[in-house]
Amino acid sequence: MRVLLVEDDTLLGAAVRDQIAADGHSVDWATRLDAASDHLRVATYQLILLDLMLPDGQGLDFLRRRRLAGDDTPVIILTARDQISDRIAGLNGGADDYLVKPFDLSELTARLGAVARRYAGNPNPIVRLGELQVDMAGRSVQRAGRRVALTAREWALFEALLQHPHQLLSKAQLEERLYSFDTEIESNTIEVYVGRLRKKVGHAMIETVRGMGYRLGQSVATDSTGDR
Amino acid sequence: MRQLFPHPRLSLQRRLALALAGCVTACWLAGTVAAGFVLREEISEVFDSALQEVAQGVLPLAYAEILERGTDGPPDSAPNRVASVGPHREYIAYIVRNAAGRVLLMSHDADLAMFPSTIQPGFADGPVTRLYTEAAIRGTLFVTSAERPGHRRATVVQATRMLVWPLGVLLPLIAAVIWLLVARSFRPIGAFQRAIEARGGGNLTPVDTSALSVEIAPAAEAVNQLIERLKQALEGERRFTANSAHELRTPVAAALAQTQRLLAELPDGQSHDRATAIEAALRRLTRLSEKLLQLAKAESGRLKADRPQDLAQALSLVLADLQGTPGVEDRLIVEVPESGTFLSWLDIDAFAILARNLIENAVRHGDMSKPVHVSLTAGGLLRVSNSGRVVPVDSLALMTKAFQRGNTNADGAGIGLAIVAAIAEGIGTRLELRSPAPGMVDGFEASVLLPKAPC
Repeated sequence: MRVLLVEDDTLLGAAVRDQIAADGHSVDWATRLDAASDHLRVATYQLILLDLMLPDGQGLDFLRRRRLAGDDTPVIILTARDQISDRIAGLNGGADDYLVKPFDLSELTARLGAVARRYAGNPNPIVRLGELQVDMAGRSVQRAGRRVALTAREWALFEALLQHPHQLLSKAQLEERLYSFDTEIESNTIEVYVGRLRKKVGHAMIETVRGMGYRLGQSVATDSTGDR
Repeated sequence: MRQLFPHPRLSLQRRLALALAGCVTACWLAGTVAAGFVLREEISEVFDSALQEVAQGVLPLAYAEILERGTDGPPDSAPNRVASVGPHREYIAYIVRNAAGRVLLMSHDADLAMFPSTIQPGFADGPVTRLYTEAAIRGTLFVTSAERPGHRRATVVQATRMLVWPLGVLLPLIAAVIWLLVARSFRPIGAFQRAIEARGGGNLTPVDTSALSVEIAPAAEAVNQLIERLKQALEGERRFTANSAHELRTPVAAALAQTQRLLAELPDGQSHDRATAIEAALRRLTRLSEKLLQLAKAESGRLKADRPQDLAQALSLVLADLQGTPGVEDRLIVEVPESGTFLSWLDIDAFAILARNLIENAVRHGDMSKPVHVSLTAGGLLRVSNSGRVVPVDSLALMTKAFQRGNTNADGAGIGLAIVAAIAEGIGTRLELRSPAPGMVDGFEASVLLPKAPC
């Protein structure tokens, strides 16, 4: 998924960005609210990681304004404010989760996944898909009982398709989810990754709609997944 | 100089009541003594006049009586007694004597021992009484009148006593009236005292001084100024604590996150082990700084909220937050009031710190294979219990002291229960620790009765 990170501390922001990127997601990093607004105008994000105290304003005010404007992008607040009243204010302000600094990067990854699954309408981390059993939280795939090793980028592509079962995702949509602004994308990158993924999870699993994009194979019965 | 009221703790109300009642009594007694002296003078004049009147009144009658009898009678004959008109006690007696001192006539109750043998006209003090002698017929006939012994003194004493006895009845009444008046005057001071007592870390609003008298108001204003200075000092301390929390958390978070990224990128080996050690140290630093800041908040006193807070909601947030903590998993068994809410004046953040520390303590030190029970009753009793080794009584007493850890190998700063105890003390309640836990053969239970807000 594509994540917008709004964090003004460069050392922390860099570590968080690297962690998310290592998980196979694409990250755009803004250190100010006005930069975050610019990013949101030109790209679609599956999740926003939002610090509360930023040089040009309060993250919570920014979040309230976004919610009032009808933006329902999932938001996880990352903050040094640890009081329960701050947490209540954050959740009431429209945040989906609240992570207090300092936090473990593994916890951040877990929460990112949990919020994304909740938004995709399936909070259950175990998804059965034909002969595949996918652990969304553990990021592991078993095919007919045997473990399938996916790279971070392959996983990110597969997760994007899993979160929108039976929906057509265009190449541009997949590129946007997988790559941030500063990434150079080769014209056939998505095709290459789809090809590798098909080899690992089964050719019938990903259907190509010529000239339109890709979708999770319609011939494959899914279990415990659903549309948002 | 000796103090009038040496007991330093005697109330001002009692001092004033005693002093005023004492003054009234002393003034009354002094007035009575003065009245007694005046009365004695006046009574002496009246009684002297009466003696004189009797002697002068008797003289013509005695003269007529003696003339009627013709002679003074034989020298050895007994004096005549004037018959009494009716039975009565004679306060003034008289005798009529001739120049030789022979008694010719005497009143019916006269006692000759009251009269001296020598005759001296005018007033005189006899051996036992006051006398008056009137001479007539060129010094041949003398009438001497005398008071009954002690009569005059008895009259003065009786009159003085009549002045004193109402004091015995009025004194308790006066004391009671003074007591009530003083109590009424002190009522605003009592209200002021209670208002001061009610002030604590959670309530530092100025005390209302409008009802206080001019003598007390300046002291009350001084107290208000003191409260204001205390408030500013505490606010400064709170700001420092809050800012410290924020300023500490971000760099520690950055260091921890960078270390974790380094660990992810380093191959196994010495460098990886060193990064792991740094990560562990950063985690310890994180926990310790968090607990120290929690302790600072608990002891800074801002534990009362401006309006009732739903602690059941706060508890559910704390529990949700803890679900992601290692060791918690599915171990928490939670009971909350049926209504799902519990309103209290306790500050929601202070409560969260309290609940989180109790639950973390139970999770960390309890038997890892057994559940941790968390219950919040409708009456406000928060109980957290776990299975595990029984804690000796002497260790229980030490557990609420900062940096005193129980006999455990579990990780922890040894400050969690001290934080809870500080918050409990700040809200006027106590942290109760029991081991074994009630209803169990082992384990540990911590409970705190939370202040309930009226619905």
